[in-house]
Amino acid sequence: MAENMEKLYQERLNRYVTAMRNEKPDKVPIRPFLAEFTARYAGYTCQEVTHDYRKAFDAVVKTASDFDWDAVVGNMVYVWSGLTEAVGLKYYGVPGIEIGEDVGFQYKEPPEEDAFMKPDEYDQLIEDPTGFLFNVWLPRVSRDVAAQGEGASYRNNLSFLKGGMAMLSYFSAFPGQGERLKEECGMPGAIAGILKAPFDILADKLRGYLGLCTDLFERPDKVLAACEALAPHLCRIAMTSSDPTNTVPISIWMHRGCVPFVSHDQFDRLYWATLKPIIQELWSAGHQVLFYAEGNWNHHLESFAELPEGSIIYHVDRDDIMDVHRRIGDRFCLSGGLPNTLLSFGTEEQVRAECKRIIEGVAKDGGYIMDASAIVQNDAKPENIRAMTEATREYGAY
Amino acid sequence: MEEQIQSQSKPGVCIPWEKKREELPDIQGDPELLKEIWQEVDELAYTYIWHLLVSF
Repeated sequence: MAENMEKLYQERLNRYVTAMRNEKPDKVPIRPFLAEFTARYAGYTCQEVTHDYRKAFDAVVKTASDFDWDAVVGNMVYVWSGLTEAVGLKYYGVPGIEIGEDVGFQYKEPPEEDAFMKPDEYDQLIEDPTGFLFNVWLPRVSRDVAAQGEGASYRNNLSFLKGGMAMLSYFSAFPGQGERLKEECGMPGAIAGILKAPFDILADKLRGYLGLCTDLFERPDKVLAACEALAPHLCRIAMTSSDPTNTVPISIWMHRGCVPFVSHDQFDRLYWATLKPIIQELWSAGHQVLFYAEGNWNHHLESFAELPEGSIIYHVDRDDIMDVHRRIGDRFCLSGGLPNTLLSFGTEEQVRAECKRIIEGVAKDGGYIMDASAIVQNDAKPENIRAMTEATREYGAY
Repeated sequence: MEEQIQSQSKPGVCIPWEKKREELPDIQGDPELLKEIWQEVDELAYTYIWHLLVSF
């Protein structure tokens, strides 16, 4: 690696890590979570970066080469449709198939009556979550996998072989992408490892949001028991996919566990009661967790403040970032808060002004990382991404 | 309140070594080696299904 790239990499990594530990680096770090924006910038369609992860990797490298950022994700278009098609997954709208080739992939939640898990199947899930996934869930979410008792088929057998080999191919490619970003761009990776809250998994992939809402009233004890049964497995997946050096955080993608999707009481008893122990266990192993808090979680900031100081980085989406800073900024690093609508529809001057306002309001003592509120897709204007970068460099020097 | 079902499923495991061991004849070589590799490969299947659920 060229000496200047190594130096740049170390400077950026140090800046990023210092901020994540809620300390003051030399400058406000920039860590944009860019998905389909990279396709737009590098000249690819959404179909190309979704269906060919090598093009997705190239798009990230091209983008990271051209902007002065401090960390990026190797591929934020995380759903490689080559894999999902090999498994036969039904729940994605894939660019170039069900949707236009320049539209980002979509998640299709089935109607309540077609949920991937039925209301009377809680005990089965609780007793053996892994067995339930193989025997019940997978045949329902895949077009090819045969249900228990059905005869095996050519497509069934191929689904496992192709799906497994595809996953191996995809996951094995990430270390090489990390090396490329380091050597060609001097750019650190932003995250390693994935976590979802047990409650979110139940809502997103098993019962569906509407089904789960019914269950919250008709069988709340089962919901709690299911969350408790899922928790050790989700913790295991987070741990085994994490950064072994404990440098960069595990990311948790938080969906619909907050008010008003659930009540305060449901959040406390179900969502938080089964997520908090996972975060504590990961922290006891030295792992920070990046709370990618999609939506508005301001009703729950005091719950998050129960966590050990520095154990999380709190990413702001629709919350008022000034309010978040006042309430938990002394305990945790914050990131984000720059509205995506501004990046898509605003002017460069408006973007610069908002970056200045955020930096002056929350970054004075360090512990802040510049990013958009939500993952940046191909509606963001490149000139506004450049304005965000330049303004952060201009206003964000300590 | 009705009795709650307890989870029998261990993280990282699809088919426990103890169950597989019962299917084998007397082991003439090193049982620990067999156990270690069985568990290592078994966890790949575990990783597959849980990542399908969580990551995809």
